[in-house]
Amino acid sequence: MPAPRYRSRSLKRRFIRTPGGRTVVHYKKKRHSYAKCAVCKGRLNAVPTGPRVEIRKLPKSMRRPNRPYGGYLCPKCLREKIKSEVISEGLHILEIQS
Amino acid sequence: MAYLLGVGRVCVKTAGREAGRKCVIVKVIDKNYRLVTGPPELTGVRRRKCNIKHLEPLPYVLDIGEDASDEEVAKKLLEANILSEQDLVKKQVKP
Repeated sequence: MPAPRYRSRSLKRRFIRTPGGRTVVHYKKKRHSYAKCAVCKGRLNAVPTGPRVEIRKLPKSMRRPNRPYGGYLCPKCLREKIKSEVISEGLHILEIQS
Repeated sequence: MAYLLGVGRVCVKTAGREAGRKCVIVKVIDKNYRLVTGPPELTGVRRRKCNIKHLEPLPYVLDIGEDASDEEVAKKLLEANILSEQDLVKKQVKP
């Protein structure tokens, strides 16, 4: 039975064969997933990676960039979104005028 | 249809914390930069230098002079009634 501190599911177990033929368990901390853009799934800058509990303790300005859709869309996707809205709005107005 | 980024051109900021907000070009600084203003109390975009890459032009041009003041731009912008409801900055009523 492993020692109490190892009886946690947040540790990854890896079974390793030693030269002597024994198999030994190595415990590794699970890695937290990083923030991803909702559209292009690219990594988001200025958003910390780590356990949710720790991130929640940070001040809001350190949890996500100070931008519309900050922490949700990457800058490139946000720009494309705004441009497409502007263009569709622009076309909408051109139709009214013509 | 490439709109010219000249003085008086109304455009939308596509980057930075003011992304998605409408603003007016007040002065051409050089090839890459324009002086832009919202004005702040109207659309929340402060009077500042802005790279043209961060601007997306709209099909409107206000006839304002070079380096016009914020009040003048505000007046012309309201006259042209381009701004919709959600463009305007909500007045935060101090408790």
